[in-house]
Amino acid sequence: MASTTKEEEVLIELQDVWKIYQLGEVEVPALRGVSLQIKKGEFLAVVGASGSGKSTMVNLIGCLDTPTKGTLYLKSQDVTHMSESDLSSLRGKTVGFVFQQYNLIPTLTAYQNILLPLELQEFDDEEAHKRAEELLKLVGLGDKMGNLPTQLSGGQQQRVSIARALAANPEIILADEPTGALDSVTGKEVIDMLHRLWKNEGKTIIMITHDHHLAQYAHTRVELKDGQIMTVQKTVHEKEMKLYHRGD
Amino acid sequence: MKLGKTFKHALNMVLHSRLRSWLTILGIVIGVASVIAIVSLGQSLQSSITSSLSGLGGDIVTVSPGAARGGDFGPGRVDREISTTKATSKAVILDTTDYQVLKGIPEILYVQPQIRGNVNVSYLGKAGSVSVTGVDQKVWALVTTSTMAQGRFLDSADQNVVVIGGRLASSYFSQPVGINKMLTVEGGAFRVVGILNDQSTSIYMPIQMAFTVIPNKVNNQYDSIVLKIKDQDFLDDDLAIITQKLTVSRHVTNRTMDFSVTSQKEQQATRAAALSTMTTFLVAIAAVSLLVGAVGIANTMFTSVLEKTKEIGIMKAIGARNQDILLIFIFNSAIIGLIGGLIGVILGGIMSYFLPSLLSSGIPFVRGNLLTVVSLNSVFMALGVSVGVGIIAGIVPAYQASKLKPVDALRFE
Repeated sequence: MASTTKEEEVLIELQDVWKIYQLGEVEVPALRGVSLQIKKGEFLAVVGASGSGKSTMVNLIGCLDTPTKGTLYLKSQDVTHMSESDLSSLRGKTVGFVFQQYNLIPTLTAYQNILLPLELQEFDDEEAHKRAEELLKLVGLGDKMGNLPTQLSGGQQQRVSIARALAANPEIILADEPTGALDSVTGKEVIDMLHRLWKNEGKTIIMITHDHHLAQYAHTRVELKDGQIMTVQKTVHEKEMKLYHRGD
Repeated sequence: MKLGKTFKHALNMVLHSRLRSWLTILGIVIGVASVIAIVSLGQSLQSSITSSLSGLGGDIVTVSPGAARGGDFGPGRVDREISTTKATSKAVILDTTDYQVLKGIPEILYVQPQIRGNVNVSYLGKAGSVSVTGVDQKVWALVTTSTMAQGRFLDSADQNVVVIGGRLASSYFSQPVGINKMLTVEGGAFRVVGILNDQSTSIYMPIQMAFTVIPNKVNNQYDSIVLKIKDQDFLDDDLAIITQKLTVSRHVTNRTMDFSVTSQKEQQATRAAALSTMTTFLVAIAAVSLLVGAVGIANTMFTSVLEKTKEIGIMKAIGARNQDILLIFIFNSAIIGLIGGLIGVILGGIMSYFLPSLLSSGIPFVRGNLLTVVSLNSVFMALGVSVGVGIIAGIVPAYQASKLKPVDALRFE
């Protein structure tokens, strides 16, 4: 397979990353010397109890926050010392977010919510509209274009938020407890959708979850405890993953 | 994000918090409307004064006793009244000597001495006190800027006749006074021969009659002498000549000068200046309400930033740069300013249309109908100012919003 080297490409690298929060006089370390490599095309599940630092780690990976110590590379760029605006641009192009509470803009329709990242990336109008429409159809909500988030069910909102995460065609999808607010059936649908994106579109997916059952969808499982990585487990056999990709 | 899109999102924000936006807009509306109304009222008062002056009376000069300069406004009037009362005790007076000196100046066309005072007047049992002016009936018609609505001016053979102001004729007494009706002035009967085309309650009569009718007047001592010069293009030169001749004849120097020479133009200029001061003052007051409106915008924007903290976090997470957020909020407050300005201009226009009729009795110098026009200049200025005010009021909240850290903003509930 010609793309072997590409698949091996390291997208994200954390080198001895610390995140320390200052709570009044007390320093609270949320991450304590985390080192990790995430390769292109991986489906990574981050598991751990609450307070273990998994959200902090994902926020750092998504450039929503900067580490206190250590270095973080995103697409071989050191993001530790980047300006706020450069981080925003990089984030907008490279990372798509799926949140537990969907986090759609309540005053915008489903369609406009998907359009927003395209507008921020200054896509050509015609192209942006076409893409937003396609994405809505992809997540099965072609008939809900004009609906406000409040007029959609939780599962539908999460699907809109997945479409929004895909809009600017990022390589990485960061999903923070994407099924946490959904019942098991809709939760399964959302996970299946993420799985398809990984399998069919070759997206790199990083998902936070505390549901071990869901974690099995991922091919790598990272367990965090007290701000440190306890284990990194491959749940899907390497061969199997290659089989998935051959299926494209 | 492109500017057009940024604007669209700002507009969307305004539309989605309608009540609060409208209340904020109201603050700007009140400020802009009052500024527009006052400015246009002031401008039309000014132009009404200017138009009443232009062409008329540019060649009319008044000499009065008393050292002040200026017209009816300010100290001039006071001094003249003092000198009038002092006239009997030989203080500062104008008399036939001055009259003769003025007659001898070639640049002067007509010389018209006059006296003025208040008299009791009655008509068909209804009485009152009005101002009466004794004029030289031979030249009054040639010198005055008044025009006749009915009847005629005074005539050199006239004795017990009067010309009266428009309002005295129409509505001062219980019944209108017509031509050839008899008015009782200080006990004497006078026939009305003319009604002026104005809104005054004045009475004009031959000066010889006025000396007998107006209390405390001495024959051949005048309250003022009105002159008509030959060429108003030389007004300033003529004023200087008149002043110089009178200074010599009255044996005074520039320092001890005991008379004043004013043109109607100067008087009007003084009035216009006073009016402009008044307008400026009122505009300043109205500007304060605009300032309050600006504080309202700032307040709303701070609340809005707080309320939208989470949305700001989401926007940043999906790639909004600091400047995108900054511009969305600044546009938001600019839109509030613009809408407030637009409605304010319209409301101010309506107000300035109705204000004159509401205030007509209270406005000095203006007789008859006043047409207020909201100038295009003041419209653009008001819109510019209200948008500017919106932007300035929005800068700090918008900056605050743009500086929010995405991770903190996302956590905000």
